[in-house]
Amino acid sequence: MPAPDLARIRNIGITAHIDAGKTTTTERILFYTGMSHRIGEVHDGNTTTDYMEQERERGITITSAAVTCEWKDHRINIIDTPGHIDFNIEVNRSLRVLDGAIFIIEGVAGVQPQSETNWRLADRYNVPRVIFINKLDRTGADFYRALGTLKEKLDIVALPLQLPIGIEDKFVGVVDLVEMKAIVWEGGELGAKYHDEPIPADLLEAAQEHRQTLLDTALSVDDAAMEEYFERGDVSVETLKRCIKAGTISGAFRPVLCGTAFKNKGVQPLLDAVIDYLPSPVDVPGIKVAAEEGEDEHAERRRIKADPNAPFAGLAFKIINDKYGTLTFVRVYAGTLRSGDMVLNTTRGHRERIGRMFQMHADKRQEIKEVTAGDIAAFVGLKDTGTGDTLASQEDPVILERMAFPVPVIDISVEPRTKEAIEKMTIGLQKLAAEDPSLRLRTDQETGQTILSGMGELHLEIIIDRLKREYGVDANVGAPQVAYRETISRPHTETYTHKKQTGGSGQYAEVKVVFEPLERNGGVVFENDVVGGAVPREYIPAVEKGIRVQAETGVLAGFPTVDFKARLVDGKYHDVDSSALAFEIAAKACFRDGMKKAGPMILEPVMDVEITTPQDHVGDVVGDLNRRRGMIQNQESSGSTVIVRAHVPLKEMFGYISQLRSMTKGRASFTMQFHHYDPVPRNIADEIMAKSA
Amino acid sequence: MGTPRLHWMRGRTEQGAGLTRTLEWVGLDDAGQAIARVVRLKGPVWADWRQYRAVALDDEAKVIELRPSPPDGAGWLACIGARVVGRAALPLQAVRTAEAALAGGGD
Repeated sequence: MPAPDLARIRNIGITAHIDAGKTTTTERILFYTGMSHRIGEVHDGNTTTDYMEQERERGITITSAAVTCEWKDHRINIIDTPGHIDFNIEVNRSLRVLDGAIFIIEGVAGVQPQSETNWRLADRYNVPRVIFINKLDRTGADFYRALGTLKEKLDIVALPLQLPIGIEDKFVGVVDLVEMKAIVWEGGELGAKYHDEPIPADLLEAAQEHRQTLLDTALSVDDAAMEEYFERGDVSVETLKRCIKAGTISGAFRPVLCGTAFKNKGVQPLLDAVIDYLPSPVDVPGIKVAAEEGEDEHAERRRIKADPNAPFAGLAFKIINDKYGTLTFVRVYAGTLRSGDMVLNTTRGHRERIGRMFQMHADKRQEIKEVTAGDIAAFVGLKDTGTGDTLASQEDPVILERMAFPVPVIDISVEPRTKEAIEKMTIGLQKLAAEDPSLRLRTDQETGQTILSGMGELHLEIIIDRLKREYGVDANVGAPQVAYRETISRPHTETYTHKKQTGGSGQYAEVKVVFEPLERNGGVVFENDVVGGAVPREYIPAVEKGIRVQAETGVLAGFPTVDFKARLVDGKYHDVDSSALAFEIAAKACFRDGMKKAGPMILEPVMDVEITTPQDHVGDVVGDLNRRRGMIQNQESSGSTVIVRAHVPLKEMFGYISQLRSMTKGRASFTMQFHHYDPVPRNIADEIMAKSA
Repeated sequence: MGTPRLHWMRGRTEQGAGLTRTLEWVGLDDAGQAIARVVRLKGPVWADWRQYRAVALDDEAKVIELRPSPPDGAGWLACIGARVVGRAALPLQAVRTAEAALAGGGD
């Protein structure tokens, strides 16, 4: 495919709650745009974007996959993302680099918990969205109820551009409120054949009413369109589309379309909406450069505009290792780059040579010689570039806004079955962790075990499976453990002197450190406030290293210590006996002694749990949640079912599904996602400490 | 809504963030007389060390404070002469409200 002009490119993602139909919709898009000649199905395990063995076996999307297609003279780069919360990192990094998104919700359930999470993520990155209410063929589907959940749960101006014709098994097409016509699918030929016809008489009044709302809302973003309306009593289709696009990009409202991807209805108008309403790289304000230290994250800063002739700037957002080596996916924001060019990794401060470049089509690749602003491509040959790093030209070495990664909440210990596999396992896990920033790897200093931290049981299960299939390592895995953290509750100043004299030159270092609590998600902050050279500059990094290393093993139960600041305020050294090692040892000991006096406490992950249960079992479900230390947030009735929302410590949620099934005779279901870290009650803290002793 | 009964044109505008924003639409009768206005509500705004939750400009461009404050989502006032005949979230809705009031339909 030759590079089209920038205004004819759309970089979009498809995102939704699990099982809302993202992959099914992507499959239809590829079929109708001629990129595939058959429609794959998730349940048959033969879709284009779910190419990993685990995805096909389990019928879920695990990794985001990029595909490219053409529709009406436009190039659309699509990233299909997973729905399961355990793989939320994929949604996060995809939304970060996209210009727009199709947001799918289910016609039966409406907005579900993961829809909300993904919606907020898209808000964070200001991604313009069109909404597709899917599965209108399903029993219980209700377009208007689903529309209501958009307004109620997401607090948005949801603006229908279509109304359904029929519902459930009688769903045949949509009323197009922009052009005031009906679009009806004829059945057969996998939905490729459809035609326009007049709006059915029984829908005319509703259509006129909704079109008026459409005009009222869309025209309010464009004064010239208002004037056209006052002049003519209506506006042209072009004017209306221009207004809808402007409102979609600014977020003044969110256009809503509908259909059933599985039954092949509604997908072609959705593609038209992508072209008409979602922005091209030149329609968006450009990506912000990163905030300087101490600068407000939300402050207006320089933006890099999409311009092929500007100095190169791109963001590495995904890394995969396969049999051919490491592929680094890069979104190009400005400039043009050719194979063999040198770029600067401005995040890490070193140069990288670009080897081969590919345009990706799920797991297939097509070599390209050049990438330009607005493109998404995969580079081979980058030696030390990680997810979230900026690649830029030396002419303008910008650092682009960083990516935020979720906090892992579950730990497992892992060890190879044979001694010979230790090295293979380490290499494998390091490569998997390099691909996936929501996976953390550490060694427990006391037991020497390798600990994997991830987003959930499924996430870690898939990692262990990949370790076996891709790296040939059979591992013994411990039971999943809650990823507790430790922190402090009050400031404390500690001084520690490390002195050792065993003949020859000795070891001497003294550090005085102020430990202060930070807000949740504050991480570990080290500050050097030493004045007058009390600790020579060359030893400061050793003090920081000592504190950071020791913080990995908390003083209460050995869990990583977070959300505190360590300020080195004073110290002493000796001209002969001081060394970096001595200062590192002093800092470690200072941390161990200081933390004990700073009100240490254990934090546990608390989950946002949503249970959908029949009315008759609400009492049992709520009682059980209370026993699990749950805090009920709200209860909502929806027909004969009740949705109960609660915050429950993760520790209490292991094995919950079996209990829920037995309580409700298998009629209830639940989803959960990480919400926040909270201090554990005293009795539980004692239990945890006793276990770790 | 059919063809509007009045001839509506842009009134006062303001510049901000690189664009011009219309603050009011003025409805003229066939003789060209301004008889209705729909006015964008602004607020909260600070003036003279006081905070106003919602204000609009009257036809002489003086700030008028609205009491009680309009409910959320009511961003426009519909006025006939100096009389406020209704409030609406969107300007076209406010135009309809003003025209309905003129036709004797109230708001």
